[in-house]
Amino acid sequence: MFLGVDIGSTTSKAVILDSKLNILSASVINTGTGTLGPEKTVKAVLSKAGLNEKEIQYSVVTGYGRMTYQKADKQITEISCHARGTFFLKPNARTIIDIGGQDAKVIRLDEDGRVKNFAMNDKCAAGTGRFLEVMARILDCRINRLSVLSQKATEEINISNTCTVFAESEVISQLAAGVKRENVAKGAHKAVAKRVAGLAGRIGVEPDVVMTGGVALNKSVVDALEQEIKEKVTVLKKPQIVGALGAALYAFEMIDM
Amino acid sequence: MNRIEEIIAIMEDVSRYPAKAIRESMEETGKEVIGCFPLYTPEEIVYAAGMIPVGLWGGQKEIKKADKYLQSFCCSIMKENMEHGMEGSYEFLSAIIIPAYCDTLKCVCENWKAAVPDIPLIAMVYPQNRKITAGVEYLVNEYKRVKDELEKISGKKITEKELEESIDLYEEYRKTMSQFVAIASKYPRTIDAKKRHSIIKAAYFTDKKWYIPLIKELTTELNMLPEEAFNGIKVIATGILAEPEVLLDTLVQNNITFAADDLAHESRQFRTGVSNSGTPLERLALRIAGNQKCALLYDEEKTRGQLLLDLVKEYKADGVVVFMMKFCDPEEFDYPIYKKELEAAKIPMLYLEIEQKMDSVEQIRTRIQSFKEMLTV
Ligand code: SF4
Repeated sequence: MFLGVDIGSTTSKAVILDSKLNILSASVINTGTGTLGPEKTVKAVLSKAGLNEKEIQYSVVTGYGRMTYQKADKQITEISCHARGTFFLKPNARTIIDIGGQDAKVIRLDEDGRVKNFAMNDKCAAGTGRFLEVMARILDCRINRLSVLSQKATEEINISNTCTVFAESEVISQLAAGVKRENVAKGAHKAVAKRVAGLAGRIGVEPDVVMTGGVALNKSVVDALEQEIKEKVTVLKKPQIVGALGAALYAFEMIDM
Repeated sequence: MNRIEEIIAIMEDVSRYPAKAIRESMEETGKEVIGCFPLYTPEEIVYAAGMIPVGLWGGQKEIKKADKYLQSFCCSIMKENMEHGMEGSYEFLSAIIIPAYCDTLKCVCENWKAAVPDIPLIAMVYPQNRKITAGVEYLVNEYKRVKDELEKISGKKITEKELEESIDLYEEYRKTMSQFVAIASKYPRTIDAKKRHSIIKAAYFTDKKWYIPLIKELTTELNMLPEEAFNGIKVIATGILAEPEVLLDTLVQNNITFAADDLAHESRQFRTGVSNSGTPLERLALRIAGNQKCALLYDEEKTRGQLLLDLVKEYKADGVVVFMMKFCDPEEFDYPIYKKELEAAKIPMLYLEIEQKMDSVEQIRTRIQSFKEMLTV
């Protein structure tokens, strides 16, 4: 049995694979790097699969918190793991867009699933899940309802500031000027998409484009992104666990080699 | 400790504690010290004036006072230099020379006078069209002005002979360094990316007469060893400078080494020599005229990409690492041009946006490790 753990800034994910590469179990916990989140998610994934720690032959940790998690046999970056996980699920993928809680990445793959190039956003919340969280708070909307709110928009507004802090005050003044909440919500999704499309522009986009990471569950971002990059964007079934799946695949290869 | 390790340790010590090294040089030689802002500051003239030129390439101080003069979109080298100046860490300098290449440097010249009035400033401008006769003449005149100013500080005239001797010394320095980096590339474990950086950096804080023999000795000692096998990744480094050190640590941890570099702080200093003909100041001006492929010197043919491609080929490097000094406009203007050329040649490239003091390096760690995985896994 092979374990992959992906410790992000806001969530911890884990996947267990058997030696035939079937996914035995997966778990997502809404606590990121630190001790609690990773421990909980590993516990959850083990119990779902009905396994104990000793039955894990090899484990790989990835993600923002990978350096501080001591229990894995090896650590590999989330760039490599997202690439491996995505390619496993969708061998036609050539561009991966991964938007997480605090960062965004674009990864280009070759026909063999190897990473050709990648780009990451800098330490800035623009173009990440964090930006949407801030917007949801101002709009007094639960984060998982933000997309629904945005679908009701009647007009497209622009949020011109990329910086989250400035965008926050910009939006507050728009609301004060009478702009409707749903229109602001739509603008917020577009702002994220624009920023990520800019990131993608650095290394180029080649179809098929696949989106991973928690923000992929937000349909409005996906729609806005399709418009910005002018390509169809496929969202994998469980976009959050792709990094952990990639880590588990690496774990399998370590033993298999 | 063998001799190689000893020399490396000496150089690391100098780079780590530059102020201490400079004070020691002052005591030993009894010479005054002139601070030289980047880049291509005419150190030869300073040396001929009987003073030691030292390089001022920023540092890792927290920026508090410099914000008064430099906006947040200025490069960190200049903010650091200004902070050090205002904090008094340059008090041992008799003067500083600032060549105005970029917008930031132009402003710094003016700011300096107000911010650090105790350290006299010698400002100079490099000609945009440095290859044409008028450009060379203009630069010779600028050098004359710098020379006059230095003479006022030292209180004595600089003779032609002193200039010639100083130029010879600097030519020897450039030759020694070119040999060193060529040999060092064969010993990637003994001279890893961080050590290489420290060794080259030490030149900025010491008298070249002290520094050159040690580097020669190091090169000779290295040359006697069998070439080192290396299973890591060899890259060409390009940009202004490869700092902060934690970046170099991360590169070393990931088994990434510099096969060669095109860094303003390193090889661009010594890869072009002076001309053999003309008066001493003309020889210096012609060195700048002949200098190519540097973001700070106008290059109408945009040859930097080809230089990087040649280096990759010559050193059989696996890729290029771009150390992009945040907000350095000359470097940023070059980037899209050579990026295209490297991409067309399918050379893997790692782009690192840097500041001299970086509080969070996690992102960069991930980028470096991903780059390694991209080339190995
Ligand atoms: S050339 Fe670049 S690094 Fe040098 S001072 Fe100007 S902006 Fe800063």
